[in-house]
Amino acid sequence: MSALVDRAVEAAGLASVLAARRAGRLDSGEHLARLRAADLLALGALADCIRADEVGDEVRIYTRPDEGDGQVPVLPPAGRDVTGLELLREVAIARIAGPRGARVRVDWTRCGLELAQVALGFGADELAGVLANKRGLPLADGEVLGVGKKSRLEAAPVVKRRELADFVRRAGRTPRFVEEAS
Amino acid sequence: MLEIIRDKARAGERLSFEDGLALFMHPDVVAVGQLANEVRERLHGDRTYFNRNMRIEVTNVCVASCLFCSFAKLEEGAPGAHTMKLEQAWAELQAHMDDPPSEIHIVNGLHPGLPFSYYEQLLAGFKRIKPDIHMKCFTAVEIHFFATHYGMTYREVLERLRRAGLDSLPGGGAEIFHPDVRTRIAHDKATGDEYLDVHRVAHSLGIRTNATMLYGHIETFEHRVDHLLRLRALQDETEGLQAFIPLAFHPDGNGMRNLPAPTAVDALRTVAVSRLLLDNVPHVKAYWVSMTPEVAQIALRFGADDVDGTIVHETIYKAAGSRSPRELTVAQLVRLIQEAGRIPIERDTLYRAVREHPRAALPEGAVKVRDRKASKHLEVIS
Repeated sequence: MSALVDRAVEAAGLASVLAARRAGRLDSGEHLARLRAADLLALGALADCIRADEVGDEVRIYTRPDEGDGQVPVLPPAGRDVTGLELLREVAIARIAGPRGARVRVDWTRCGLELAQVALGFGADELAGVLANKRGLPLADGEVLGVGKKSRLEAAPVVKRRELADFVRRAGRTPRFVEEAS
Repeated sequence: MLEIIRDKARAGERLSFEDGLALFMHPDVVAVGQLANEVRERLHGDRTYFNRNMRIEVTNVCVASCLFCSFAKLEEGAPGAHTMKLEQAWAELQAHMDDPPSEIHIVNGLHPGLPFSYYEQLLAGFKRIKPDIHMKCFTAVEIHFFATHYGMTYREVLERLRRAGLDSLPGGGAEIFHPDVRTRIAHDKATGDEYLDVHRVAHSLGIRTNATMLYGHIETFEHRVDHLLRLRALQDETEGLQAFIPLAFHPDGNGMRNLPAPTAVDALRTVAVSRLLLDNVPHVKAYWVSMTPEVAQIALRFGADDVDGTIVHETIYKAAGSRSPRELTVAQLVRLIQEAGRIPIERDTLYRAVREHPRAALPEGAVKVRDRKASKHLEVIS
């Protein structure tokens, strides 16, 4: 962790939370309350450092709704209406309060790809969603419009897949599509 | 590196070109945001501004052929081209007089066939309907066009428009100042120097202005920093800029539709770096039309202190594929700001407080009172 993040964590009153996490005795009541009230960016910086230390820069991408082992909590929770700021806080808390090396997954079909990308800076290491869903990859639409014309013969899912990988790269991370049998 | 920049920013020392580049290239966007947030809170605390404004685009006929533009139609009579009759434009305000805006924001194409008196009558007509309405109209690119097309100096154009009712200039048309980019994406309108000259003359007349930067297309980080530092230099000279607004490029339906739009991370980083480099510009806007209300809300933690206004009827970004709604109500803007843990301040165009709303009881991201209908603006429009 850089000295800058160290000081931000200290100033946000999160030093004791970090110490408790490192010692493996995070108190679910007191510490969670502190995380919920802490400055969002300090929280994000701390979560991002923990993410980098524990799971590295790779972002696993699931593009089928039934992929995965069902053990990973997905944010935002289905059916719950959250703002972008709430989502980022939830993601950061899931990383900080979760077990070491936890998988923190964000579903872009629930929150939009823009927010999912920002969440990668707040502790997330997995993205999930449906490639064919227009809402999931809105920024690829301009390119997809040309699919089928002479100049662009790639299928829409290929274009969207590339866009998605670029989104991850532009967040400073390394994309890896996880192909699992549905 | 970031710590050196933070120490400079805290000491009030000016950041350099190299510092700006380092901020754009630093891998930790959240840490960059923290630095910007520190500056933002030092300048404004939690106060976050918005206004009741109405966008009107009276014509999209335009002699310029900017690659990034999805709004303009080159000729009158072309499919989709429109030019409002004066009465049609005034009717937009008349239709909202039950809850009137405090500002009319007009931006147009560069129409070669209208007389200058059209614009003078346009302004005067709005003032007749609501004498205290603030007319923030015509970008520097339009002022430059008026000067060349009607054979006047910038000063003459601005003085005539001011006599007709002009109060301030919006910031549009800046795009990227550096000629390497500008000649490729906007070769046939005002240059970067001409844009800055118009603002300089406006400031000398006591007309306040905003400034923008269109980012996320073919420009490099060097071009962005160069752009910001040119604005900073102008502000050192005139102190006439009120706000800086980074505008995200949207690719639909224009000459650069093969490019992807900038991402939310880029949007947040650009807001943050702008706040840090523009140490003499009072306000940095998170323009919700450009970046969506959701990302604009997050930007209030990355250096922005203003979200623009109600807008009512925006068409330029809509034409380029923006998924933002056309309008946000005052209640929606207040809620958006409160949910970010900030204090909503309704302002007039010159940043005088009109009404201070209370802050939310809980910190940002911890608001649990959910009202699906009221927060619908935060949903992604599919």
